[in-house]
Amino acid sequence: MNTHWVIAEHARHAAELISAAKALEPGTVVAFAGGDEEAARGLIAQGADSAFVLAPGPGALWEDFAAALTEKAKAEQPSLILVGASKRGRSLAALLAANLDAPCISDGSRLALDQGRLTAERMVLGGLAMKTVSSAARTVIVTVSPGVYAAGPADTSRQGSVGRLESAGGNARVTGRRLREHSQVDLGAAARVVGVGRGFAEKEDLALAVQLAQAMGAELACSRPIAEFFRWMPEETYLGISGQVIKPEIYVAVGISGQPQHVFGIRDAKVIVSINKDENAPIHQTADYSIIGDLKEVLPLLGEAVSKVSTR
Amino acid sequence: MKRVIVCYKWVRDGADIRVDERTRTLNLDKAKWMLNEFDRNAIEAGVQVKAATGCELIGITAGARTENSAKDALSRGLDALCYLDDPLMERADSRTTSKVLAGMVEKMGGADLVICSEASDDEFAQQTSARLAALLGYASVTYVQGIEVSGEVLKLGRKLEDGIEDVEVEGAAVISVVPDINDPPMPGIRQILGAKKKPSTALSLAEIGLTGEQAEPQLRTESVLAPEVRRKKVQLSAGGASAADAVRSLVQHLVSDGVL
Repeated sequence: MNTHWVIAEHARHAAELISAAKALEPGTVVAFAGGDEEAARGLIAQGADSAFVLAPGPGALWEDFAAALTEKAKAEQPSLILVGASKRGRSLAALLAANLDAPCISDGSRLALDQGRLTAERMVLGGLAMKTVSSAARTVIVTVSPGVYAAGPADTSRQGSVGRLESAGGNARVTGRRLREHSQVDLGAAARVVGVGRGFAEKEDLALAVQLAQAMGAELACSRPIAEFFRWMPEETYLGISGQVIKPEIYVAVGISGQPQHVFGIRDAKVIVSINKDENAPIHQTADYSIIGDLKEVLPLLGEAVSKVSTR
Repeated sequence: MKRVIVCYKWVRDGADIRVDERTRTLNLDKAKWMLNEFDRNAIEAGVQVKAATGCELIGITAGARTENSAKDALSRGLDALCYLDDPLMERADSRTTSKVLAGMVEKMGGADLVICSEASDDEFAQQTSARLAALLGYASVTYVQGIEVSGEVLKLGRKLEDGIEDVEVEGAAVISVVPDINDPPMPGIRQILGAKKKPSTALSLAEIGLTGEQAEPQLRTESVLAPEVRRKKVQLSAGGASAADAVRSLVQHLVSDGVL
């Protein structure tokens, strides 16, 4: 019976990875996650056979656990190590991979295991393509983003051991943390999303999109330049490869050209609507319905039409 | 801070890659090569550390056709370049790349600071920086958006999901920087002409003690295909429909799809 490891900063993400590991093959699952012992016991209920709390000591980086995990992995030889693809998680996975001289598949999805060969799909070339890679190495590491797999049901009658892993800390020391204010918006869970892009010439014009979003009961999101270059919207609201990946019922892309990097974040939407005055904008090729037109004309009309439907 | 090394990747320009809609395969024949966009920020971060400390600033790269990258990379402020140009590297995974880069850094006698960007435009694996740190035995600090050199101490700000993490490092480190760390200027004609006079040195796999077999990737590529697009692609403005007509039609469609 093979042993699989799951490692994540947050227990809720570890729960998703446990369900991914169990779906691949029956085996022993060892979970490592941040939080406390209660969170670790929660991971036993989620299907782990043993769970360890990863609580870094003062001044330690979360990734410093790579050293202790390396020693443990050398002793226990897990066949698969799934790591939650947060930024710290990606870094820890890469450190662990180098220490173990093991392959690491970044941001894997559609994991499959066939006769000891693990296969996974991942995005490459800025979203232009999906690459399927495989490895039959003794230990394979895969980082998996939140939301790719769903956590299974909890079974509180499950028994398992709970422990803590200590980390020694390294040459880099944390001297302070400035926490970001938590956004009120959970784009990942939104059923309706309106996205704005560089087709908006002025920040003031965003009011048109806000009105449409209100009429639809939708959350407002944007393309990367709107958040990172113009700073018209908070960073956590941009969609795409390095931003949020959403799965709404409906996504309305307004003034968005539709670069592959953006489309990567929206392509699991059930219905995509594109509104763009440029008829050659690639977004129209990834949409179910397209309107070629000036957003200043289209948005008020659409907002009005949508309100009539929802008040019917 | 005596020597800073910046790692960069020479990649295909994604804008030149054509997708065959029928087979979903990619055609790279017309794709030119370019400096990985994220790495412009890594080089500029090195330039700024050099301005603050007077260190030596060397670029390194390992890949296919990397000899052609010299002029571009050197025009961005590097003092010198060391490159490994081997067609084997076209199939490299993150393990191979980091092994080769680590071999190059060691061959050059090490560094006080190695700067990478967070990812490459093509593979976007985000592994090289941390792997390289582990192989060299240097401290690893990733996703850095601010660098301050204070004597022997490196003060770094990491941009993570939950906010900014301030980190101090004493001793050699490998860091990865995020794109918003700086706004790299376009090299001017003087920088481009000056690049030709800067030294660049070629290294081979053999010279860094690796055999072709050791450079083989662990990950096997099964396929590279454009994602399947299953969209209706209904163009509501076709035939000169007015915005009002298009909107009316859109709402009808959305209602019948059950999403409104």
